[in-house]
Amino acid sequence: MDKIKVLLAKPTQDSHDRGVRYLSHKLVQEGFEVVFINFLFVKEIVEVATEEDVAVIGISSSSGGHMPIFEELTKQLKESDKNDILVVGGGIISAQDGKLLEDMGVKKIFGPGSSSAEIVDFIRSNAPLHDHDSKAQISK
Amino acid sequence: MFDKETLDKSVEALAKWSEEYKRISTKFANPPVNAVTPKTNSDIPIRNCYFPHDIEDIDFTDIGAPGSYPFTRGNLATQYQFMGWANQPVIGYGLPEHTRERMDLLASEGMIGYFGSYFYNLVYDLVSHEGIDPDHPGAKGRVGQCGMAVYSVEDMARLFEGMDLSKINVVHITSYQVIPVLAQYIAYARTQGIDASELRGNTMNWYHKSAFDGMSCFPPDQGLKLAVELVAFCSKNMPRWNTTNFFGYEIEEAGGSAVQEIGFVLAAAVSLTKACIKAGLSADVFLKRFGFQFSQANDFFEQIAKIRAFRKIWARTMHERFGASDHHALQARIHTHTSGAVLTAQQPLVNLIRTSIHALGAVLSGTQAMEVSAYDEALAIPTLDAATLSLRVQQVIEEETNVTAVSDPLAGSWYVESLTDQLAKQALALVKEIESMGGYIEAELNGWIRAEIETSAAKWRDGVDTGNIKVVGLNSHVSQDEDRSDTFAVPAETEQIAKERMAKLKETRDKERFEKAMERFSIAAKQFSTKALESLGDNQLMEAAIDAASAYATTGEMMSVLKEACGWGPPHRK
Repeated sequence: MDKIKVLLAKPTQDSHDRGVRYLSHKLVQEGFEVVFINFLFVKEIVEVATEEDVAVIGISSSSGGHMPIFEELTKQLKESDKNDILVVGGGIISAQDGKLLEDMGVKKIFGPGSSSAEIVDFIRSNAPLHDHDSKAQISK
Repeated sequence: MFDKETLDKSVEALAKWSEEYKRISTKFANPPVNAVTPKTNSDIPIRNCYFPHDIEDIDFTDIGAPGSYPFTRGNLATQYQFMGWANQPVIGYGLPEHTRERMDLLASEGMIGYFGSYFYNLVYDLVSHEGIDPDHPGAKGRVGQCGMAVYSVEDMARLFEGMDLSKINVVHITSYQVIPVLAQYIAYARTQGIDASELRGNTMNWYHKSAFDGMSCFPPDQGLKLAVELVAFCSKNMPRWNTTNFFGYEIEEAGGSAVQEIGFVLAAAVSLTKACIKAGLSADVFLKRFGFQFSQANDFFEQIAKIRAFRKIWARTMHERFGASDHHALQARIHTHTSGAVLTAQQPLVNLIRTSIHALGAVLSGTQAMEVSAYDEALAIPTLDAATLSLRVQQVIEEETNVTAVSDPLAGSWYVESLTDQLAKQALALVKEIESMGGYIEAELNGWIRAEIETSAAKWRDGVDTGNIKVVGLNSHVSQDEDRSDTFAVPAETEQIAKERMAKLKETRDKERFEKAMERFSIAAKQFSTKALESLGDNQLMEAAIDAASAYATTGEMMSVLKEACGWGPPHRK
């Protein structure tokens, strides 16, 4: 079976990257393919997600300011016809914000203390079945 | 350190203890790991009980007296007997007025620095850290988040209105925007008739942190030069200003061990010291104004030993390798930040217990200043109540426990002295390893520092996930989630107001003067970027930055110039 490809993204200004870097390492161990970026603009996430043809986008935010990022991300994914991508988030995100985000189409928020096993299981069961693009087909 | 008779008795005592220990341990079918192979959080093997002969190899001159070289026991003979450590809670959110309100409230709750003066430990927001302005599209949602929305001399005026800058001590917590921010602070002081030489406080000068975090940054060789530029300027013009804060705390927060924290910090400091000497500065002058920020985390005794060990290896390294001899140059002045990484969102009030233990450890280690993390920090920016309680932790320790009566009260503990010695040795070995790679910048570029810290972080998290490492509320003594509705939120109007102010500033400032100053700053930055370390020290960049700040140049505008000249992007790894 093809590996599930996950894009993990963190705002450049947010230095708290211990959790997301650990998750990246765990996902690879668990057989996922991971792309990691720091971004300033949401369009960078969408561009990389498109280029890399990922099934999942995980946003890490531990310094606040996450709401506009998710708003913009879900909007841009819709516009570029990529809203089948599973979007999840993690970090210092309150339960209150979590509810608003779920209404927005973010499938799950993993707050502080979440275990990597929880996240791995969730992604595994919720990542969309993926038709790889032609480039990936050729490379096989 | 002991005579033969004492050592013989010590060995005898050990034998008795071992026998008794074995007798009891046979009653336990599955002994806990720590009863069989005890070790610290940094994986340093320890013993279950210590005896005098465990430290017989330590020369007493390694321990000495508080206030004397090598300062293992603290910088001052008087420790806290005449004056406590400085309370330095991190403050900063929303508009400058919001931050000011909290500065005043905490001051009224007894937050105090040295000699009765007020200290303010102020953190800039995410937008400032990125080196942009609130009107930049990348600023959306980040204005006033995780710090204060201060971007110009005008914002400084809002923040410090009515305060006499010559009487207060201000710490500016920045990332790589340190030169624009210091320039703005100096420019603002001048509008108040105060010369830079009268200012007291601290800049971070944190270029070395690009070795262990993922934020966009200058290339490390340019970062090192920028750090030297600031040190050179302050050495000449701001004798009371603390130039550089070596950021051990972030190493711990990123998952590094106690050994890595002090080892990497010493390696970074050696790198900057060498660079400053190359630029013609005198070690005895600039070292006096270096300071350190270390974490106080969970392994109580290891964390105390870490601080004692660092003071020793700092003094010895700076004296033996760089010829420094001034006492102040050899004293590592330490700000403690109690660990945020070990706090939990679950049962958040339990964090108050954790931070109280951390803060006590910091006091027993002989720190100079302290920020106690707030109990709700794993949820959001602290509420005023949480911030006040953090201050109360410091006040209770200082005023009620009597631990301040004795300087370095743990000295002579066979365990603490042995651990101090081991930490010092391992940290020095780490410095040596980095130097064998070519130095700190090489170890940053080849990704080694980052990888070492990540390995340590992964080991901890794996331990938590498997339950081998206990975290109360998370994987041990778990209870139902509590109501977290009272978390703090940055006032909603912050972003809009900051943007409006920025637009107005750019419209109303003297355009001619601004453009002239920015041109000067651009030329200085371009020249600076091509200079070798040896030809630094003329301070043209810093002088031009102050001129630009005086002409109301914003942090974003000045950072654009520096980014353009020096290069900017994700951390550089080969």
